[in-house]
Amino acid sequence: MAGVEKINRMFWRLVWRALAAGRGRAALAGAALTVGVAVACALTAVYFDINAKMSRELRTYGANFYLGPGEGGALMMEADFRQILADAPPGMVSAASPWLLGVARAESQKVVLAGVSFEGLRPLSAYWQVTGGWVGVDFDDRNAMLGVKLAEQLEMREGGEFALLRDAERKRLRVRGIVETGDVTDSLLLVNLAVAQDWLRQPGKISHALLRVANDSGQAGAWARELRVRYPALDIKPIRRVSAAEGRVLEKIRGLMGLVALVVLTLATLCVNTTLTAGVSARTAEFALMKALGARHAAIVRQILTETLLIATAAAAAGGALGWVLAQILGRAVFASPIEFRAPVLPLTVTLALTVALLAAIVPIRRAVRTEPARILKGE
Amino acid sequence: MPHDNVIETCALDKFFGPVRALAEVTVSVRRGEFVACMGASGSGKTTLMNILTCLDTPSGGRVFLDGQDLSALDEDGRRTLRATKIGMVFQQFHIIPYLNALENVMLAQYYHSVTDESAARKILADVGLANRLTHLPAALSGGEQQRVCIARALVNEPPLLFADEPTGNLDEENEIIVLGLLQDLHRQGRTIVLVTHNPDLAAHADRVIRLHHGRVVE
Repeated sequence: MAGVEKINRMFWRLVWRALAAGRGRAALAGAALTVGVAVACALTAVYFDINAKMSRELRTYGANFYLGPGEGGALMMEADFRQILADAPPGMVSAASPWLLGVARAESQKVVLAGVSFEGLRPLSAYWQVTGGWVGVDFDDRNAMLGVKLAEQLEMREGGEFALLRDAERKRLRVRGIVETGDVTDSLLLVNLAVAQDWLRQPGKISHALLRVANDSGQAGAWARELRVRYPALDIKPIRRVSAAEGRVLEKIRGLMGLVALVVLTLATLCVNTTLTAGVSARTAEFALMKALGARHAAIVRQILTETLLIATAAAAAGGALGWVLAQILGRAVFASPIEFRAPVLPLTVTLALTVALLAAIVPIRRAVRTEPARILKGE
Repeated sequence: MPHDNVIETCALDKFFGPVRALAEVTVSVRRGEFVACMGASGSGKTTLMNILTCLDTPSGGRVFLDGQDLSALDEDGRRTLRATKIGMVFQQFHIIPYLNALENVMLAQYYHSVTDESAARKILADVGLANRLTHLPAALSGGEQQRVCIARALVNEPPLLFADEPTGNLDEENEIIVLGLLQDLHRQGRTIVLVTHNPDLAAHADRVIRLHHGRVVE
Protein backbone atom coordinates (compact mmCIF):
# COMPACT_ATOMS: atom_id res chain seq x y z
CA MET A 1 0.00 0.00 0.00
CA ALA A 2 1.62 3.23 -1.24
CA GLY A 3 2.46 5.75 1.45
CA VAL A 4 1.70 3.38 4.28
CA GLU A 5 4.61 3.02 6.66
CA LYS A 6 5.41 -0.02 8.66
CA ILE A 7 4.40 0.35 12.30
CA ASN A 8 7.93 -0.53 13.33
CA ARG A 9 9.32 2.51 11.58
CA MET A 10 7.12 4.81 13.67
CA PHE A 11 8.04 2.87 16.79
CA TRP A 12 11.77 3.31 16.20
CA ARG A 13 11.23 6.95 15.27
CA LEU A 14 9.49 7.44 18.62
CA VAL A 15 12.23 5.63 20.51
CA TRP A 16 15.18 7.43 18.91
CA ARG A 17 13.54 10.85 19.07
CA ALA A 18 12.64 10.29 22.73
CA LEU A 19 16.21 9.27 23.51
CA ALA A 20 17.60 12.24 21.61
CA ALA A 21 15.21 14.64 23.34
CA GLY A 22 16.11 13.24 26.75
CA ARG A 23 19.78 12.73 25.97
CA GLY A 24 20.88 14.40 29.20
CA ARG A 25 18.97 11.90 31.31
CA ALA A 26 19.87 9.04 28.99
CA ALA A 27 23.54 9.97 29.29
CA LEU A 28 23.28 10.15 33.08
CA ALA A 29 21.57 6.76 33.31
CA GLY A 30 24.05 5.36 30.81
CA ALA A 31 27.00 6.76 32.76
CA ALA A 32 25.75 5.26 36.03
CA LEU A 33 25.20 1.93 34.35
CA THR A 34 28.58 2.11 32.61
CA VAL A 35 30.38 2.66 35.91
CA GLY A 36 28.45 -0.16 37.57
CA VAL A 37 29.10 -2.54 34.72
CA ALA A 38 32.76 -1.50 34.48
CA VAL A 39 33.40 -2.24 38.14
CA ALA A 40 31.43 -5.49 37.99
CA CYS A 41 33.20 -6.51 34.79
CA ALA A 42 36.62 -5.72 36.23
CA LEU A 43 35.91 -7.61 39.44
CA THR A 44 34.41 -10.50 37.50
CA ALA A 45 37.45 -10.69 35.25
CA VAL A 46 39.74 -10.61 38.27
CA TYR A 47 37.49 -13.08 40.10
CA PHE A 48 37.76 -15.67 37.35
CA ASP A 49 41.48 -15.10 37.02
CA ILE A 50 42.20 -14.83 40.70
CA ASN A 51 42.82 -18.50 41.46
CA ALA A 52 45.81 -18.68 39.23
CA LYS A 53 46.93 -15.19 40.12
CA MET A 54 46.53 -15.59 43.86
CA SER A 55 48.22 -18.96 43.92
CA ARG A 56 51.12 -17.53 41.98
CA GLU A 57 51.13 -14.43 44.15
CA LEU A 58 50.95 -16.27 47.43
CA ARG A 59 53.73 -18.56 46.31
CA THR A 60 55.93 -15.51 45.98
CA TYR A 61 55.31 -14.82 49.64
CA GLY A 62 57.76 -17.43 50.69
CA ALA A 63 58.51 -21.01 51.32
CA ASN A 64 55.89 -23.59 52.11
CA PHE A 65 58.15 -26.51 53.07
CA TYR A 66 60.66 -26.97 55.88
CA LEU A 67 63.62 -29.32 56.24
CA GLY A 68 65.53 -29.32 59.48
CA PRO A 69 67.37 -31.47 61.99
CA GLY A 70 65.30 -33.85 64.08
CA GLU A 71 64.57 -33.49 67.75
CA GLY A 72 67.64 -32.54 69.76
CA GLY A 73 69.75 -31.74 66.74
CA ALA A 74 70.97 -28.26 65.87
CA LEU A 75 72.30 -28.94 62.43
CA MET A 76 71.73 -31.26 59.50
CA MET A 77 73.91 -32.32 56.64
CA GLU A 78 73.88 -30.16 53.55
CA ALA A 79 74.30 -33.38 51.54
CA ASP A 80 70.88 -34.61 52.72
CA PHE A 81 69.31 -31.38 51.54
CA ARG A 82 71.04 -31.70 48.15
CA GLN A 83 69.97 -35.34 47.87
CA ILE A 84 66.34 -34.52 48.67
CA LEU A 85 66.38 -31.87 45.96
CA ALA A 86 67.96 -34.27 43.50
CA ASP A 87 65.38 -36.97 44.27
CA ALA A 88 62.36 -34.69 44.17
CA PRO A 89 59.79 -35.43 41.46
CA PRO A 90 60.14 -33.17 38.43
CA GLY A 91 58.43 -29.82 38.99
CA MET A 92 57.91 -30.47 42.70
CA VAL A 93 60.45 -27.94 43.99
CA SER A 94 60.45 -24.53 42.37
CA ALA A 95 62.86 -22.79 44.77
CA ALA A 96 64.97 -23.77 47.76
CA SER A 97 67.64 -22.34 49.97
CA PRO A 98 69.68 -23.83 52.81
CA TRP A 99 70.20 -21.74 55.93
CA LEU A 100 73.15 -21.93 58.31
CA LEU A 101 72.88 -19.65 61.30
CA GLY A 102 75.62 -18.76 63.75
CA VAL A 103 77.06 -15.92 65.78
CA ALA A 104 80.00 -13.96 64.45
CA ARG A 105 81.71 -10.65 65.16
CA ALA A 106 81.43 -7.89 62.63
CA GLU A 107 83.57 -4.89 63.41
CA SER A 108 82.96 -4.42 67.11
CA GLN A 109 79.54 -6.07 67.32
CA LYS A 110 78.21 -9.56 67.61
CA VAL A 111 75.96 -10.39 64.72
CA VAL A 112 73.90 -13.34 63.58
CA LEU A 113 75.52 -14.65 60.44
CA ALA A 114 73.23 -16.44 57.99
CA GLY A 115 74.60 -18.53 55.18
CA VAL A 116 72.16 -18.97 52.33
CA SER A 117 71.96 -19.79 48.66
CA PHE A 118 71.17 -16.37 47.21
CA GLU A 119 70.15 -17.93 43.90
CA GLY A 120 67.60 -20.11 45.69
CA LEU A 121 66.59 -17.52 48.25
CA ARG A 122 65.68 -14.76 45.85
CA PRO A 123 62.58 -16.44 44.29
CA LEU A 124 61.51 -17.45 47.82
CA SER A 125 61.70 -13.87 49.03
CA ALA A 126 59.88 -11.80 46.44
CA TYR A 127 58.30 -9.70 49.18
CA TRP A 128 61.66 -8.55 50.57
CA GLN A 129 62.34 -4.88 50.06
CA VAL A 130 65.94 -4.67 48.91
CA THR A 131 67.86 -1.45 48.69
CA GLY A 132 70.85 -1.84 46.42
CA GLY A 133 71.02 -5.30 44.90
CA TRP A 134 71.05 -9.01 45.57
CA VAL A 135 74.21 -11.07 45.76
CA GLY A 136 73.94 -12.62 42.34
CA VAL A 137 75.72 -15.95 42.51
CA ASP A 138 76.33 -18.63 45.07
CA PHE A 139 80.12 -18.58 44.72
CA ASP A 140 80.40 -14.88 45.55
CA ASP A 141 82.47 -14.71 48.77
CA ARG A 142 83.10 -10.96 48.80
CA ASN A 143 79.61 -9.54 48.99
CA ALA A 144 76.95 -9.71 51.69
CA MET A 145 73.48 -8.41 52.38
CA LEU A 146 72.52 -6.75 55.65
CA GLY A 147 69.17 -6.65 57.39
CA VAL A 148 68.00 -3.09 57.74
CA LYS A 149 68.30 -3.04 61.55
CA LEU A 150 71.78 -4.49 61.47
CA ALA A 151 72.79 -1.95 58.81
CA GLU A 152 71.68 0.80 61.15
CA GLN A 153 73.69 -0.68 64.03
CA LEU A 154 76.78 -0.97 61.85
CA GLU A 155 76.05 2.36 60.22
CA MET A 156 76.41 0.69 56.86
CA ARG A 157 74.94 1.55 53.48
CA GLU A 158 74.98 -0.37 50.26
CA GLY A 159 78.46 -0.22 48.77
CA GLY A 160 80.05 0.11 52.21
CA GLU A 161 82.64 -2.34 53.53
CA PHE A 162 83.14 -4.00 56.88
CA ALA A 163 85.11 -6.87 58.31
CA LEU A 164 84.21 -10.12 60.00
CA LEU A 165 86.59 -10.71 62.87
CA ARG A 166 87.68 -14.08 64.21
CA ASP A 167 90.66 -13.99 66.56
CA ALA A 168 93.28 -12.25 64.49
CA GLU A 169 91.62 -13.18 61.28
CA ARG A 170 89.68 -10.62 59.24
CA LYS A 171 87.42 -11.12 56.26
CA ARG A 172 86.39 -8.03 54.37
CA LEU A 173 82.85 -7.98 52.93
CA ARG A 174 81.12 -5.40 50.80
CA VAL A 175 77.46 -4.54 51.39
CA ARG A 176 75.66 -5.44 48.17
CA GLY A 177 72.18 -4.69 49.41
CA ILE A 178 70.11 -3.88 52.49
CA VAL A 179 67.08 -6.02 53.19
CA GLU A 180 63.84 -5.03 54.89
CA THR A 181 61.42 -7.88 55.58
CA GLY A 182 59.62 -6.96 58.77
CA ASP A 183 60.86 -10.14 60.48
CA VAL A 184 64.06 -11.37 62.11
CA THR A 185 65.86 -11.23 58.77
CA ASP A 186 66.15 -7.47 59.38
CA SER A 187 68.82 -8.26 61.99
CA LEU A 188 70.82 -10.80 59.97
CA LEU A 189 74.04 -10.63 58.08
CA LEU A 190 73.46 -12.69 54.94
CA VAL A 191 76.35 -14.29 53.12
CA ASN A 192 76.69 -17.25 50.81
CA LEU A 193 76.46 -20.63 52.51
CA ALA A 194 80.06 -21.54 51.76
CA VAL A 195 81.31 -18.33 53.42
CA ALA A 196 79.20 -18.98 56.51
CA GLN A 197 80.22 -22.65 56.72
CA ASP A 198 83.85 -21.65 56.52
CA TRP A 199 83.60 -18.75 58.97
CA LEU A 200 81.46 -20.64 61.48
CA ARG A 201 83.60 -23.74 61.02
CA GLN A 202 80.61 -25.87 60.08
CA PRO A 203 81.66 -27.41 56.76
CA GLY A 204 78.89 -29.42 55.06
CA LYS A 205 76.33 -28.43 57.72
CA ILE A 206 73.18 -26.36 57.57
CA SER A 207 70.66 -25.29 60.22
CA HIS A 208 67.64 -25.93 58.06
CA ALA A 209 66.33 -25.43 54.54
CA LEU A 210 63.27 -23.68 53.19
CA LEU A 211 61.64 -24.83 50.00
CA ARG A 212 58.70 -23.85 47.86
CA VAL A 213 57.01 -26.96 46.56
CA ALA A 214 53.99 -27.51 44.35
CA ASN A 215 50.87 -27.95 46.46
CA ASP A 216 47.98 -27.48 44.01
CA SER A 217 46.35 -30.70 45.15
CA GLY A 218 47.94 -31.11 48.55
CA GLN A 219 50.91 -33.09 47.27
CA ALA A 220 53.29 -31.30 49.66
CA GLY A 221 51.88 -33.27 52.60
CA ALA A 222 52.28 -36.58 50.79
CA TRP A 223 55.84 -35.77 49.81
CA ALA A 224 56.67 -34.78 53.40
CA ARG A 225 55.34 -38.14 54.66
CA GLU A 226 57.42 -39.96 52.05
CA LEU A 227 60.56 -38.03 52.98
CA ARG A 228 60.05 -38.62 56.71
CA VAL A 229 60.17 -42.34 56.02
CA ARG A 230 63.39 -42.00 54.07
CA TYR A 231 64.97 -39.45 56.45
CA PRO A 232 63.68 -40.33 59.92
CA ALA A 233 66.35 -38.20 61.58
CA LEU A 234 65.05 -35.08 59.94
CA ASP A 235 62.16 -32.81 60.71
CA ILE A 236 60.26 -32.48 57.42
CA LYS A 237 56.95 -30.66 57.10
CA PRO A 238 54.91 -28.41 54.90
CA ILE A 239 54.53 -24.95 56.37
CA ARG A 240 50.78 -25.15 56.75
CA ARG A 241 50.42 -21.60 57.95
CA VAL A 242 50.98 -20.34 54.41
CA SER A 243 48.97 -23.04 52.64
CA ALA A 244 45.94 -22.62 54.84
CA ALA A 245 46.21 -18.86 54.71
CA GLU A 246 46.17 -19.08 50.95
CA GLY A 247 42.69 -20.55 50.93
CA ARG A 248 41.35 -18.17 53.54
CA VAL A 249 42.77 -15.12 51.77
CA LEU A 250 41.31 -16.27 48.46
CA GLU A 251 37.92 -16.79 50.02
CA LYS A 252 37.95 -13.41 51.72
CA ILE A 253 39.11 -11.58 48.63
CA ARG A 254 36.41 -13.25 46.55
CA GLY A 255 33.80 -12.35 49.11
CA LEU A 256 35.05 -8.78 49.23
CA MET A 257 34.96 -8.50 45.45
CA GLY A 258 31.44 -9.90 45.35
CA LEU A 259 30.35 -7.44 48.02
CA VAL A 260 31.93 -4.47 46.25
CA ALA A 261 30.33 -5.53 42.95
CA LEU A 262 26.95 -5.92 44.65
CA VAL A 263 27.17 -2.51 46.31
CA VAL A 264 28.25 -0.80 43.10
CA LEU A 265 25.54 -2.51 41.06
CA THR A 266 22.92 -1.63 43.69
CA LEU A 267 24.01 2.00 43.58
CA ALA A 268 23.95 1.92 39.78
CA THR A 269 20.46 0.40 39.84
CA LEU A 270 19.23 3.12 42.21
CA CYS A 271 20.84 5.84 40.12
CA VAL A 272 19.39 4.50 36.87
CA ASN A 273 16.03 4.02 38.56
CA THR A 274 16.02 7.60 39.85
CA THR A 275 17.01 8.95 36.46
CA LEU A 276 14.44 6.89 34.57
CA THR A 277 11.73 7.76 37.09
CA ALA A 278 12.54 11.46 36.73
CA GLY A 279 12.43 11.01 32.95
CA VAL A 280 9.03 9.32 33.08
CA SER A 281 7.71 11.99 35.45
CA ALA A 282 8.79 14.66 32.99
CA ARG A 283 7.02 12.74 30.21
CA THR A 284 3.77 12.10 32.09
CA ALA A 285 1.72 14.23 29.67
CA GLU A 286 3.31 12.37 26.77
CA PHE A 287 2.26 8.97 28.10
CA ALA A 288 -1.17 10.31 29.02
CA LEU A 289 -1.60 11.53 25.46
CA MET A 290 -0.47 8.18 24.05
CA LYS A 291 -3.05 6.42 26.18
CA ALA A 292 -5.71 8.92 25.14
CA LEU A 293 -4.85 8.21 21.51
CA GLY A 294 -5.39 4.52 22.11
CA ALA A 295 -1.96 3.22 23.10
CA ARG A 296 -2.08 -0.12 24.88
CA HIS A 297 -0.15 -0.54 28.13
CA ALA A 298 2.06 -2.96 26.25
CA ALA A 299 2.99 -0.26 23.74
CA ILE A 300 4.10 2.10 26.50
CA VAL A 301 5.97 -0.69 28.30
CA ARG A 302 7.65 -1.66 25.02
CA GLN A 303 8.73 1.90 24.34
CA ILE A 304 10.25 2.51 27.79
CA LEU A 305 11.87 -0.93 27.83
CA THR A 306 13.37 -0.42 24.39
CA GLU A 307 14.75 2.98 25.36
CA THR A 308 16.16 1.47 28.57
CA LEU A 309 17.66 -1.55 26.83
CA LEU A 310 19.30 0.65 24.20
CA ILE A 311 20.91 2.67 26.99
CA ALA A 312 21.86 -0.59 28.74
CA THR A 313 23.38 -2.04 25.57
CA ALA A 314 25.51 1.04 25.04
CA ALA A 315 26.46 0.97 28.73
CA ALA A 316 27.31 -2.74 28.54
CA ALA A 317 29.64 -2.10 25.61
CA ALA A 318 31.25 0.95 27.21
CA GLY A 319 31.28 -0.59 30.68
CA GLY A 320 32.69 -3.85 29.37
CA ALA A 321 35.54 -2.08 27.61
CA LEU A 322 36.18 0.19 30.59
CA GLY A 323 35.96 -2.77 32.95
CA TRP A 324 38.49 -4.69 30.92
CA VAL A 325 40.92 -1.79 31.13
CA LEU A 326 40.21 -1.50 34.85
CA ALA A 327 40.82 -5.24 35.26
CA GLN A 328 44.19 -4.88 33.55
CA ILE A 329 45.09 -1.97 35.83
CA LEU A 330 44.03 -4.01 38.87
CA GLY A 331 45.94 -7.02 37.58
CA ARG A 332 49.10 -5.04 37.06
CA ALA A 333 48.78 -3.11 40.32
CA VAL A 334 47.95 -6.09 42.52
CA PHE A 335 49.41 -9.09 40.74
CA ALA A 336 51.95 -7.44 38.45
CA SER A 337 50.52 -9.32 35.50
CA PRO A 338 47.68 -8.85 33.02
CA ILE A 339 44.27 -10.40 33.66
CA GLU A 340 43.51 -13.09 31.14
CA PHE A 341 40.17 -13.13 29.33
CA ARG A 342 37.84 -15.77 30.72
CA ALA A 343 34.80 -16.81 28.70
CA PRO A 344 32.13 -16.21 31.38
CA VAL A 345 33.04 -12.52 31.76
CA LEU A 346 31.35 -11.33 28.56
CA PRO A 347 27.91 -12.92 28.99
CA LEU A 348 27.97 -12.11 32.68
CA THR A 349 28.70 -8.45 31.97
CA VAL A 350 25.92 -8.15 29.40
CA THR A 351 23.50 -9.99 31.69
CA LEU A 352 24.39 -7.73 34.60
CA ALA A 353 23.87 -4.57 32.54
CA LEU A 354 20.51 -5.72 31.23
CA THR A 355 19.37 -7.00 34.62
CA VAL A 356 20.29 -3.76 36.36
CA ALA A 357 18.55 -1.74 33.65
CA LEU A 358 15.43 -3.89 33.75
CA LEU A 359 15.25 -3.75 37.54
CA ALA A 360 15.72 -0.01 37.41
CA ALA A 361 12.94 0.33 34.83
CA ILE A 362 10.25 -1.46 36.85
CA VAL A 363 9.15 1.54 38.91
CA PRO A 364 9.20 4.06 36.02
CA ILE A 365 7.25 1.66 33.80
CA ARG A 366 4.60 1.12 36.47
CA ARG A 367 4.35 4.86 36.89
CA ALA A 368 3.99 5.45 33.15
CA VAL A 369 1.36 2.74 32.77
CA ARG A 370 -0.64 4.07 35.71
CA THR A 371 -0.81 7.55 34.20
CA GLU A 372 -4.38 8.80 34.25
CA PRO A 373 -4.98 10.65 30.98
CA ALA A 374 -8.18 12.32 32.17
CA ARG A 375 -6.37 14.02 35.04
CA ILE A 376 -3.08 14.76 33.31
CA LEU A 377 -4.50 16.06 30.04
CA LYS A 378 -6.74 18.44 31.92
CA GLY A 379 -3.53 19.87 33.35
CA GLU A 380 -4.09 18.78 36.96
CA MET B 1 -26.82 0.70 10.25
CA PRO B 2 -25.68 3.83 12.05
CA HIS B 3 -27.71 5.05 15.01
CA ASP B 4 -29.30 8.48 14.83
CA ASN B 5 -27.99 9.36 18.25
CA VAL B 6 -24.25 9.04 18.23
CA ILE B 7 -24.16 9.80 21.98
CA GLU B 8 -26.76 8.79 24.52
CA THR B 9 -26.44 8.89 28.29
CA CYS B 10 -29.00 7.68 30.77
CA ALA B 11 -29.03 8.85 34.41
CA LEU B 12 -25.30 9.22 34.46
CA ASP B 13 -23.70 9.58 37.90
CA LYS B 14 -20.12 10.24 38.86
CA PHE B 15 -18.79 10.45 42.38
CA PHE B 16 -15.31 11.52 43.47
CA GLY B 17 -15.40 10.27 47.04
CA PRO B 18 -18.33 12.04 48.66
CA VAL B 19 -18.53 14.63 45.90
CA ARG B 20 -21.17 14.04 43.26
CA ALA B 21 -19.69 15.49 40.07
CA LEU B 22 -22.49 14.32 37.79
CA ALA B 23 -26.08 13.70 38.89
CA GLU B 24 -28.42 11.69 36.71
CA VAL B 25 -27.22 13.29 33.50
CA THR B 26 -29.29 12.22 30.54
CA VAL B 27 -28.29 13.75 27.22
CA SER B 28 -28.15 12.75 23.57
CA VAL B 29 -26.30 14.06 20.55
CA ARG B 30 -27.49 13.35 17.02
CA ARG B 31 -25.16 12.33 14.25
CA GLY B 32 -23.74 15.40 12.51
CA GLU B 33 -24.79 17.73 15.32
CA PHE B 34 -22.55 20.49 16.75
CA VAL B 35 -23.26 20.63 20.47
CA ALA B 36 -21.71 22.94 23.02
CA CYS B 37 -21.45 21.80 26.61
CA MET B 38 -21.38 24.81 28.89
CA GLY B 39 -21.16 25.45 32.56
CA ALA B 40 -19.17 27.24 35.17
CA SER B 41 -15.95 25.85 36.52
CA GLY B 42 -16.77 22.74 38.58
CA SER B 43 -20.11 22.21 36.87
CA GLY B 44 -19.06 18.75 35.67
CA LYS B 45 -18.57 19.41 31.95
CA THR B 46 -15.01 18.02 31.84
CA THR B 47 -16.10 15.02 33.91
CA LEU B 48 -18.85 14.39 31.39
CA MET B 49 -16.38 14.73 28.52
CA ASN B 50 -13.93 12.32 30.17
CA ILE B 51 -16.69 9.72 30.47
CA LEU B 52 -17.89 10.25 26.91
CA THR B 53 -14.33 9.92 25.59
CA CYS B 54 -13.77 6.71 27.57
CA LEU B 55 -11.03 8.30 29.65
CA ASP B 56 -13.11 7.76 32.78
CA THR B 57 -15.97 5.51 33.83
CA PRO B 58 -19.27 6.55 35.40
CA SER B 59 -20.30 5.61 38.92
CA GLY B 60 -23.81 4.90 37.70
CA GLY B 61 -26.04 5.15 34.68
CA ARG B 62 -25.28 4.13 31.14
CA VAL B 63 -23.52 5.61 28.14
CA PHE B 64 -24.00 4.58 24.50
CA LEU B 65 -21.47 5.71 21.94
CA ASP B 66 -22.43 5.08 18.34
CA GLY B 67 -24.81 2.46 19.68
CA GLN B 68 -22.22 0.73 21.83
CA ASP B 69 -22.82 0.37 25.57
CA LEU B 70 -19.68 1.59 27.32
CA SER B 71 -20.51 -0.23 30.54
CA ALA B 72 -20.03 -3.49 28.64
CA LEU B 73 -16.46 -2.59 27.71
CA ASP B 74 -13.30 -3.35 29.62
CA GLU B 75 -10.21 -1.13 29.58
CA ASP B 76 -9.02 -2.58 26.29
CA GLY B 77 -12.44 -2.15 24.72
CA ARG B 78 -12.57 1.47 25.82
CA ARG B 79 -9.06 1.97 24.42
CA THR B 80 -10.12 0.56 21.05
CA LEU B 81 -13.21 2.74 21.00
CA ARG B 82 -11.10 5.78 21.84
CA ALA B 83 -8.70 5.03 19.00
CA THR B 84 -11.35 4.32 16.40
CA LYS B 85 -14.39 6.47 17.11
CA ILE B 86 -13.21 9.47 19.04
CA GLY B 87 -11.06 12.44 18.18
CA MET B 88 -9.97 14.71 21.03
CA VAL B 89 -8.68 18.26 21.17
CA PHE B 90 -7.50 19.68 24.47
CA GLN B 91 -7.07 23.21 25.75
CA GLN B 92 -3.38 22.64 26.43
CA PHE B 93 -2.55 21.22 22.99
CA HIS B 94 -0.60 18.18 24.24
CA ILE B 95 1.77 17.54 21.40
CA ILE B 96 4.83 15.28 21.69
CA PRO B 97 7.61 17.87 21.77
CA TYR B 98 10.24 15.78 19.99
CA LEU B 99 8.03 14.82 17.03
CA ASN B 100 7.36 17.22 14.19
CA ALA B 101 3.86 18.22 13.09
CA LEU B 102 3.57 15.37 10.59
CA GLU B 103 4.82 12.76 13.07
CA ASN B 104 2.46 14.03 15.77
CA VAL B 105 -0.45 13.43 13.43
CA MET B 106 0.93 10.03 12.42
CA LEU B 107 1.09 9.08 16.11
CA ALA B 108 -2.70 8.82 16.17
CA GLN B 109 -2.53 6.53 13.11
CA TYR B 110 0.17 4.46 14.80
CA TYR B 111 -1.95 3.74 17.87
CA HIS B 112 -5.01 3.22 15.66
CA SER B 113 -3.61 0.77 13.11
CA VAL B 114 -0.90 1.68 10.58
CA THR B 115 0.69 4.98 9.68
CA ASP B 116 -0.13 6.59 6.37
CA GLU B 117 2.07 9.59 5.71
CA SER B 118 0.14 10.81 2.67
CA ALA B 119 -3.12 10.89 4.66
CA ALA B 120 -1.36 12.74 7.48
CA ARG B 121 0.06 15.29 4.99
CA LYS B 122 -3.37 15.84 3.48
CA ILE B 123 -5.10 16.43 6.80
CA LEU B 124 -2.41 18.90 7.84
CA ALA B 125 -2.85 20.68 4.54
CA ASP B 126 -6.60 20.80 5.22
CA VAL B 127 -5.96 22.71 8.47
CA GLY B 128 -3.59 25.07 6.71
CA LEU B 129 -0.27 23.61 7.80
CA ALA B 130 1.03 22.22 4.50
CA ASN B 131 4.21 24.27 4.90
CA ARG B 132 4.73 23.37 8.55
CA LEU B 133 4.96 19.57 8.28
CA THR B 134 8.50 19.14 9.52
CA HIS B 135 8.41 21.82 12.18
CA LEU B 136 8.78 20.78 15.78
CA PRO B 137 6.06 22.07 18.16
CA ALA B 138 8.48 24.58 19.64
CA ALA B 139 8.71 26.24 16.22
CA LEU B 140 4.92 26.49 15.84
CA SER B 141 2.62 29.18 17.20
CA GLY B 142 -0.12 28.27 19.68
CA GLY B 143 -2.72 28.38 16.93
CA GLU B 144 -0.63 26.17 14.71
CA GLN B 145 -0.10 23.70 17.51
CA GLN B 146 -3.83 23.53 18.13
CA ARG B 147 -4.40 22.95 14.42
CA VAL B 148 -1.91 20.06 14.57
CA CYS B 149 -4.04 18.66 17.42
CA ILE B 150 -7.20 19.03 15.34
CA ALA B 151 -5.50 17.28 12.41
CA ARG B 152 -4.39 14.52 14.76
CA ALA B 153 -7.93 14.17 16.11
CA LEU B 154 -9.33 13.85 12.60
CA VAL B 155 -6.74 11.72 10.83
CA ASN B 156 -8.41 8.42 11.70
CA GLU B 157 -11.76 9.82 10.55
CA PRO B 158 -13.61 9.25 13.84
CA PRO B 159 -17.36 9.84 13.85
CA LEU B 160 -17.04 12.01 16.97
CA LEU B 161 -14.86 15.00 17.72
CA PHE B 162 -14.57 16.29 21.29
CA ALA B 163 -12.97 19.66 21.87
CA ASP B 164 -12.36 20.75 25.46
CA GLU B 165 -11.84 24.52 25.57
CA PRO B 166 -9.93 24.34 22.26
CA THR B 167 -9.44 28.10 22.08
CA GLY B 168 -8.75 28.63 25.77
CA ASN B 169 -5.04 29.22 25.23
CA LEU B 170 -5.28 31.06 21.91
CA ASP B 171 -5.30 34.71 20.94
CA GLU B 172 -8.29 36.13 19.11
CA GLU B 173 -6.84 35.60 15.65
CA ASN B 174 -6.12 31.94 16.24
CA GLU B 175 -9.43 31.49 18.05
CA ILE B 176 -11.20 32.57 14.87
CA ILE B 177 -9.11 30.17 12.77
CA VAL B 178 -9.79 27.20 15.05
CA LEU B 179 -13.47 28.00 15.37
CA GLY B 180 -13.67 28.28 11.58
CA LEU B 181 -12.10 24.85 11.29
CA LEU B 182 -14.68 23.35 13.66
CA GLN B 183 -17.47 24.95 11.68
CA ASP B 184 -16.04 23.58 8.44
CA LEU B 185 -15.91 20.13 9.96
CA HIS B 186 -19.49 20.46 11.13
CA ARG B 187 -20.55 21.48 7.64
CA GLN B 188 -18.82 18.36 6.33
CA GLY B 189 -21.13 16.32 8.57
CA ARG B 190 -18.86 15.69 11.52
CA THR B 191 -20.40 15.33 15.00
CA ILE B 192 -18.73 17.79 17.35
CA VAL B 193 -19.00 18.23 21.09
CA LEU B 194 -17.44 21.48 22.23
CA VAL B 195 -16.80 21.97 25.94
CA THR B 196 -16.52 25.63 26.79
CA HIS B 197 -17.44 28.29 29.28
CA ASN B 198 -17.36 30.94 26.54
CA PRO B 199 -20.90 31.87 25.40
CA ASP B 200 -19.58 33.51 22.21
CA LEU B 201 -17.99 30.22 21.22
CA ALA B 202 -21.06 28.21 22.23
CA ALA B 203 -23.21 30.46 20.07
CA HIS B 204 -21.74 28.77 16.98
CA ALA B 205 -23.12 25.36 18.05
CA ASP B 206 -26.49 23.94 16.99
CA ARG B 207 -27.43 23.31 20.58
CA VAL B 208 -26.14 23.97 24.08
CA ILE B 209 -26.17 21.54 26.97
CA ARG B 210 -25.81 23.54 30.16
CA LEU B 211 -24.55 21.93 33.35
CA HIS B 212 -24.83 23.28 36.87
CA HIS B 213 -23.45 21.41 39.87
CA GLY B 214 -23.39 18.20 37.85
CA ARG B 215 -26.96 18.43 36.61
CA VAL B 216 -28.27 19.29 33.16
CA VAL B 217 -30.21 22.51 33.55
CA GLU B 218 -30.88 23.26 29.90
